[in-house]
Amino acid sequence: MGAFIALGLFQGAVYGLLAVGIVLVYKAKRVFNFAQGEFGSVAAFSAFYLVVALGLPYWVGVVGGLVAAVGTGLIVERVIVRPLESASRTIMLVALVGVALFTIAITVLIAEPIPRVMPPLIGGSGVNILGAGILPQQLILLAVLAVLAAAMAWFFKTDLGLAVLASSQDIRAAQVVGISPVAISRLVWGMAALLGGVAGLLYAPVGIFTPGFMTLTMLVPAFAAAVLGGMTSLPGAFVGGISIGIVQNLGIYLLGQQLAVPGAAELGVFALLMLVLLIRPQGLLGKEA
Amino acid sequence: MRKKRHLLKVDGLQLRFGGLQVLDDLSLTVDEGQIVGLIGPNGAGKTSCFNCLTGIYQPQDGRVLFDGTDVSRLPTHRRARLGMGRTWQNLGVIDSLTVTENVMLAQHQRTGYSALAGMLGLAGTWLRERELRRDAAEIIDYFGLEDIADERCGSLPYGKRKTCDMAMALATDPKMLLLDEPASGLSPEEALGLVETLRELRDRLKLTILMIEHHVPLVAEVCDYVYVLNFGKLLTEGEPDEIQRHPEVIAAYLGGAAAEPEVNETDEADDTTQVLRASQSPGEPPEWPLQPAAEGGAHGAA
Repeated sequence: MGAFIALGLFQGAVYGLLAVGIVLVYKAKRVFNFAQGEFGSVAAFSAFYLVVALGLPYWVGVVGGLVAAVGTGLIVERVIVRPLESASRTIMLVALVGVALFTIAITVLIAEPIPRVMPPLIGGSGVNILGAGILPQQLILLAVLAVLAAAMAWFFKTDLGLAVLASSQDIRAAQVVGISPVAISRLVWGMAALLGGVAGLLYAPVGIFTPGFMTLTMLVPAFAAAVLGGMTSLPGAFVGGISIGIVQNLGIYLLGQQLAVPGAAELGVFALLMLVLLIRPQGLLGKEA
Repeated sequence: MRKKRHLLKVDGLQLRFGGLQVLDDLSLTVDEGQIVGLIGPNGAGKTSCFNCLTGIYQPQDGRVLFDGTDVSRLPTHRRARLGMGRTWQNLGVIDSLTVTENVMLAQHQRTGYSALAGMLGLAGTWLRERELRRDAAEIIDYFGLEDIADERCGSLPYGKRKTCDMAMALATDPKMLLLDEPASGLSPEEALGLVETLRELRDRLKLTILMIEHHVPLVAEVCDYVYVLNFGKLLTEGEPDEIQRHPEVIAAYLGGAAAEPEVNETDEADDTTQVLRASQSPGEPPEWPLQPAAEGGAHGAA
């Protein structure tokens, strides 16, 4: 059972990392960013191309992957988000689902839907934690999640972060004190894409990856993590991600292995989500803004 | 008389919403170092005028020159960065942020670091951030908000939020302040303080002020010059005591307010009569519009 908890902890770190980006966009734009996973996919595929296909140094792959992700984020901002700025949030949400599906389709076209293996940032054999073999890559992932969640929480205390919050609450009042709505919009999407890119780069080497791997397997638990944490709380995204990861794996252990219940992981996640939302509708660490 | 430099020059503003003519050929100038009043009955287009000046509304015709630059086509935040500070009738404070955070937010345009560096929390940004906090504290002290600096604005009484709005406008480091009804909702003591504050802003900080105000005694007390707006047109202009005696102004306030389809028609008419009554006896302390009678009655019943 300890092994399942450890596995869940590290699995949950990926959810948390995606959830941090989801929370950022939600705080700034009040929209659910369904394209968050694809920023990760773009980064992973770009890095794979640079490192494996072209044989360039790993750091070039990392930088190239992040640049590709941020570039995608800025294009999405310019082409999809900004024209829909005054549209209803539902239309924006559907458009972002479209962005995710479009990106997956493009990846399939360019890269073909075959499984790939990305070399890890740091190689070496797994570490034994509570009886589970945890890769060094996964340790890095958890550390990066902790650092980024803290950095983002701090960011919202700086005046630039305050400008992002203010723009989401009263755009005219923000403009009158000299805040450019376009600059804020670019900043938010650039940062969200950067966070997504980091998640993709760190998670791709943990297993094999295929087009759409972030969206199809990671995004729904990441949303559950963001909601669980309170949707606007960055520490909440961290706690939510890890809780979801652990409950998923405990579900597999307790329900799946012991009782042979099918879909045990999902059952565990939804039971947790329902329970938390019933008792604390604002989420674990949620509060206004 | 020494010719002063125009800081703001508005030329032939035309603003229409569909068939409704909100501003009709409105022109006005504000000289550097002046406190200028913009008065007129409700619905005269005063706030719309401010919205055109700050770029929130785009007028169909006309030009806005600020500090020698044609800002007619500039977006709001660019005008703010050129030195146009503004307060709002219904307040521009962000309720979920604290007083300090609101003031820091208003200093945004002075932020000297890139978004990326800010995000990564580079060493320099920590220093810069501390500097901004210190400056914010100074402005907060100036307005006497230090006791409530860490309170969320949403939980503060109206007068304090209003002061915070003013502190925000000042934190943008403006050349000119556009104040939308700075005295409305203030207690008589707070309004007296406002007179002092306005003079100090002009004399010590060399700010130019254009303010919309209903409270005629306040306008008479602090303004160097007054423009009167009625139905989107300039009714008259002049020094405050000329304006107060102007028959058309009195007629516009009484007749105009009653003729206009305002939602709070009765309240507004009350306001206007109060204001006028007060204006006829400038020596006495200003009378403030009382609570509507119905509310007093409810209190009595309870």
